[in-house]
Amino acid sequence: MNIAYRSMEFVSRFVGAFINNFYAAGRDTVEQVIRNVLPFMVFVSAMIGIILGTQIGSTIANVLTPLANNLLGLIVISLLCGIPVLSPLLGPGAVIASVVGTLLGTQIGAGAIPPNLAIAALFAINTQVGCDFFPVDLSLAEATPKTVEVGIPAMLFSRWITGPIAVVIGWIAGLGMY
Amino acid sequence: MDALVRFVEGFFALIQTGADTFVGIATGIIPTLLVLMTLVNLIVRLIGPERVERTAEKLTGNVFARYLVLPVISVIVLMNPLATTMGRFLKEEHKPGFIDATESFFHPPLGLFPHINPAEIFVYMGIAIGIQTLGLSLAPMAVRAFLAGLVVILVRGIITERIMALMMARRGITVDSLYEVAEEQPRAAMF
Repeated sequence: MNIAYRSMEFVSRFVGAFINNFYAAGRDTVEQVIRNVLPFMVFVSAMIGIILGTQIGSTIANVLTPLANNLLGLIVISLLCGIPVLSPLLGPGAVIASVVGTLLGTQIGAGAIPPNLAIAALFAINTQVGCDFFPVDLSLAEATPKTVEVGIPAMLFSRWITGPIAVVIGWIAGLGMY
Repeated sequence: MDALVRFVEGFFALIQTGADTFVGIATGIIPTLLVLMTLVNLIVRLIGPERVERTAEKLTGNVFARYLVLPVISVIVLMNPLATTMGRFLKEEHKPGFIDATESFFHPPLGLFPHINPAEIFVYMGIAIGIQTLGLSLAPMAVRAFLAGLVVILVRGIITERIMALMMARRGITVDSLYEVAEEQPRAAMF
């Protein structure tokens, strides 16, 4: 009888601890989502509304697409998207990258851009990825104000340099793909 | 009068587009995100946060760990935008490089792991649809983009770290002074 009682106690204690942790994990999650994720989504939605509503995205896409049919043009796109003052403005929600990407996709489908350039193009149109979000990222990573002050310009300049490098890496990766 | 009406119509269309986008993202991502994050949080709790943090600190000693392994694991497990929270386990001078690397890995793996960034999947899929239109398989692009992404994030992390060090040297900022929490200075009035 004693063993039965003890095992019951053991099981219920184990289950109790497990459920407690599970509940706390859920509460942490909801807190994180409400504090960090939802505002981000609202902000992105509003930006997407502005970019689509004012047709800024397709204007930029129409300017960039003719450049995309060779490696040099893709490097030029990457240099344009990576300009340290411009890159944070092109970033929000990756909307501009999505619009340009979709337009390039139709060009690839139409045969105007060789499919082997697809990966290089992915890096070229996305040089500005996250540049709008560096300050938030640094605060999510609990960086000190001093790190933020030095880090953000460092990241933006680095992007300008590594953007074209990424395009070349993407070009190499695409050699002989199809 | 007509111009005003058209402006108002355009403005409300803009708001509506934003709202529709929000509903799409929220119903599409948040439920999955909640369940997945709860499970990850549970695992961290069961292992013990201190132990997870200690291991992370030990594991980030070299550039490959900082700018390749940790970003890849964070992106696949924590997804966009929470992956960058893992930067808290790094030293101050390494945080920008890690964030640069992590942000750069939100799109290249979308062909293999679409769950990591469903809201921005068209950055990848927009281009991939072209490949599909040509009647070619998407698998080679997915694998190669993933591998190219690995090289790119490593290069980005290392170069950002170097540039940060250069900027600090030029401005006479030491690594230790990054940790100083500046005293709250009263902000000068703008007007």
